[in-house]
Amino acid sequence: MTTPTPYTESRERGELRQAVAELAGTFGRAYFLRKARDGEKTTELWSEVGKNGYLGVAVPEEHGGGGGGIGDLAVVCEELAAAGCPLLMMVVSPAICGTIITRFGTPAQQAHWLPGFADGTTTMAFSITEPDAGSNSHRITTTARRDGDAWVLSGGKTYISGVDEASHVLVVAKTEQAASGRLQPALFIVPTDAPGFTAQPIEMDVVSPEKQFTLFFDDVRLPADALVGREDAGLAQLFAGLNPERIMAAAFAVGTARFALRAAAAYAKEREVWGMPIGAHQAVAHPLAQSYIETELASLMTQKAAALYDAGDDEAAAEAANMAKYAAAEAAVDAVDRAVQTHGGNGLASEYGLGSMIASSRLSRIAPVSREMILNFVAQSSLGLPRSY
Amino acid sequence: MANIVVLVKYVPDATGDRTFTSDNTVDRVGVDGLLSELDEYAVEEALKVVEAGDGEVTVLTVGPEQAADAVRKALQIGAHKGVHVLDDAIAGSDAAATSLVLAKAIEKIADYDIVMTGLASTDGAMSVVPAMLAERLGLPQLTFASELTIEGDTIRIRRDGDAATETIEASGKMVVSVTDQINEPRYPSFKGIMAAKKKPVETWSIADLGIEASQVGTAAAWTKVLSFEPRPPRTAGEIVTDEGDGGTKLAEYLASKKFV
Ligand SMILES: Cc1cc2nc3c(=O)[nH]c(=O)nc-3n(C[C@H](O)[C@H](O)[C@H](O)COP(=O)(O)OP(=O)(O)OC[C@H]3O[C@@H](n4cnc5c(N)ncnc54)[C@H](O)[C@@H]3O)c2cc1C
Repeated sequence: MTTPTPYTESRERGELRQAVAELAGTFGRAYFLRKARDGEKTTELWSEVGKNGYLGVAVPEEHGGGGGGIGDLAVVCEELAAAGCPLLMMVVSPAICGTIITRFGTPAQQAHWLPGFADGTTTMAFSITEPDAGSNSHRITTTARRDGDAWVLSGGKTYISGVDEASHVLVVAKTEQAASGRLQPALFIVPTDAPGFTAQPIEMDVVSPEKQFTLFFDDVRLPADALVGREDAGLAQLFAGLNPERIMAAAFAVGTARFALRAAAAYAKEREVWGMPIGAHQAVAHPLAQSYIETELASLMTQKAAALYDAGDDEAAAEAANMAKYAAAEAAVDAVDRAVQTHGGNGLASEYGLGSMIASSRLSRIAPVSREMILNFVAQSSLGLPRSY
Repeated sequence: MANIVVLVKYVPDATGDRTFTSDNTVDRVGVDGLLSELDEYAVEEALKVVEAGDGEVTVLTVGPEQAADAVRKALQIGAHKGVHVLDDAIAGSDAAATSLVLAKAIEKIADYDIVMTGLASTDGAMSVVPAMLAERLGLPQLTFASELTIEGDTIRIRRDGDAATETIEASGKMVVSVTDQINEPRYPSFKGIMAAKKKPVETWSIADLGIEASQVGTAAAWTKVLSFEPRPPRTAGEIVTDEGDGGTKLAEYLASKKFV
């Protein structure tokens, strides 16, 4: 029985980890790959994780959630990835959409949406990326204009994950400020079956049960309460969602790295071609040791970011969350690369399930914010260097 | 209304290496342990019973300090309170002494209708404690239940044997042991994990139970482990190459081992 220091997790969080790991272990990599390759969804896993309250750990208790923080949700995400069966929609649905509605939704919106986030029965996609405004989200052109009490949405989005699994998409659009006439972001909850809403799947070379979509909003009519919170709070809402998104993306990548490293270490201990395990060669062992260190460091920064965020310090959390996301993505990409190399030819065989991770681990480096944009942020806001774009 | 006492045991993690202490008993202190998997079925069944009616589930463990983890796990899953009998004198107790401690603790808990247990512990695997306990408490025992129904104060169980399936029932207070076929144990929810922190756990010594140190522990054990040695590593099996006579060779092999 050890007393937690500020550098270790609380006992309860450790126990949450263990419970999720146990549950995830009953699904595992083989289940995940079978579903992904057959073009199916990991719905059973999602429901099971939801039923046990793990998707809703960060939802307030009065709305049926666990009353924990983003640090708890991140642990759930990490353990699923570490078991080889990650749930990408966790980053989006409970972490981004759930957080924004919890912090900014009207009481009626909270009462309507949060219980579904608490038990996982609600899946909501999140859409900000547009074809002509990728990393530069200031340039988005999707707009919502008022029509009496209602809203009319027009524009489009791209690379939006899980729209086919979601009942609704949280759409970042722009509205015209009544006073100044300036365009400001505002967030809308849009049903995926609304007239004028079209979703087109994008062919991807990533083995994943979650698909990506290009969305078209052709004068989609929305009721007044589709607008999350207040019209002028869009920017604050977006910022509120950013830290959880990054912390979750980091946790996802840490889990991915752990999965790859565990597979690599196990293989390096068993495989013999010169009368000793290949892991005895330092050329095999050192890269794995390095990856282990990088993964642990990324995990530590993820925990720091989550702790700051959960303590209410959004500003300090921003730097940590960005750095955690950066470090974890790099750790995941390298760990997968090294795990594949450790496996030799088997590294690319379907049976070992690592080859498919080469593409999927790269996702962490690109989305939800690219490595370069994080370096821009750190250069500018942490080092005070001139703005580069 | 049924108050249920569930026996939970802290056992070495079966996936880790097991070791023995200098007195030839299983090392329960120096290894990672957990709630015996087979006891999770008993906790689950007890919870199902109280959830369908009402009442409380008390989990009881006898074991070293770390055994508190087994109690915690059960509380996280949903049990209401815990009792941990913790005493250095108990170390090395055999099944008879363990059942004595359990019986005294259950008598001290007093307010119960059913004592529920798993079918065996995953480390000792003797399956005798439920029967010994029923004897000591003077209660009927319904063992190896793979299905359980309650009507009033009568419990009926199904016991699946090799040759027959028995239906057995008893009324009033009783001891019930359940198999791993009876249900699908739940995982601790996050709320359960947080709530467990606030649930009451009492720690009792053998003196609290009116037991003398001489009645328990290695010295009181009816049997003594004289020596042990690890199982020899598995040797490579014999491979029969089928050259038209594969069947014959297989039969010869089985006959040589007296399987046929
Ligand atoms: C599998 C997948 C799932 C996704 N899911 C979602 C989702 O659910 N919802 C959603 O809204 N979006 C989603 N995205 C979109 C994702 O967030 C974007 O792909 C990402 O933000 C990068 O934008 P982009 O693709 O337009 O790249 P671009 O912005 O075109 O960038 C291309 C390259 O240029 C670099 N670059 C751009 N600007 C600069 C600069 N100023 N300085 C230095 N380098 C720069 C980038 O780092 C990148 O390497 C997803 C993407 C993928 C691949």
